[in-house]
Amino acid sequence: MMNMKRSVMIALAAAALLAGGGTYAYMEYSRGTARADEMPVAQRLSAAELLQAFQNDEQAATKTYVGATEQVVQVSGSIRSMEPVGTDKTNVVLETGDQLAAVVCEFDNKDLPIDWRSGAQVNVKGICTGLLMDVVLVRCVAAQ
Amino acid sequence: MNEDQKNNRTNMTKLKNIALALAFVPSALIAQERFATRNGHIHFFSGTAVENIEADNNKVTSVFDATSGAIEFAALVKAFEFEKALMQEHFNENYMESNTFPKATFKGKVTGLTAEQAKTPGTYAVEVTGDLTIHGVSKPVTTKGSMTVEAGGVIKAKSEFNVKPEDHGIEIPGVVRKNIAETIKVSVDLSYAKM
Repeated sequence: MMNMKRSVMIALAAAALLAGGGTYAYMEYSRGTARADEMPVAQRLSAAELLQAFQNDEQAATKTYVGATEQVVQVSGSIRSMEPVGTDKTNVVLETGDQLAAVVCEFDNKDLPIDWRSGAQVNVKGICTGLLMDVVLVRCVAAQ
Repeated sequence: MNEDQKNNRTNMTKLKNIALALAFVPSALIAQERFATRNGHIHFFSGTAVENIEADNNKVTSVFDATSGAIEFAALVKAFEFEKALMQEHFNENYMESNTFPKATFKGKVTGLTAEQAKTPGTYAVEVTGDLTIHGVSKPVTTKGSMTVEAGGVIKAKSEFNVKPEDHGIEIPGVVRKNIAETIKVSVDLSYAKM
């Protein structure tokens, strides 16, 4: 009787472990990408400083601001322009003092403050992905 | 700095030099018809019986010279966005090794659209031939596409081609081999504005 009870307990524990492990695995598999405001800010600087860092030493800046894994960079600056990207995203282009290069912040339209206009001074949190002609931040949100 | 990073940096420097040169040359002296975008779109799709994997990158930079047909584009690997975070992490860390090879580039030539046609609204069938560099490995690519010339100096370019990860030295572990297609379908959608 005791042995049977022990077997039932072991079976129940194994089932609970399997269910727990399966649930965790499914949740991990289904996990969406984190928003920039759900992650800690790794670096804070102006748009001009961020561009300058990449222009001075792209490799070092990539290490610092892109990082080995995703990290959030908070940049401040004035809006040079706002450009629609497809139907559901907008690029907020931040002024850097360099006419040929900028910091481009890609927002989902649902995350873009409705009162932002060219010339406005803003703070943006985003995932820095590196330098092409501009420094590119994706999954951006407005910051305080 | 490894060879891939040097090449990427050189490509970006070239793009910027083109832009710089054009900024200071009187427009009357410019014979070339050059177009550029920094919001190009690349989509890739891997379909298997186990799962579908797809991602989008809306930050592709490209320059097209309609006079010579020369075309270049570059994309940041970390700017590819997936629906699932785990897929994005595996893509960057295990397959593309994006910390070592942060950019994918293409450099080649378009045939089928002359400089004169680039001023004339219409849709033109084109062929694109060049070298695609992914994961630090360059491979020749030839594909067909279309370029639609619109009013106001806008050219919309579309193309699709297939990429085999193995061709670019990307190793797929046996345990996930059935999850990832042997041939990845890549779609490119660029909207150029005149420089």
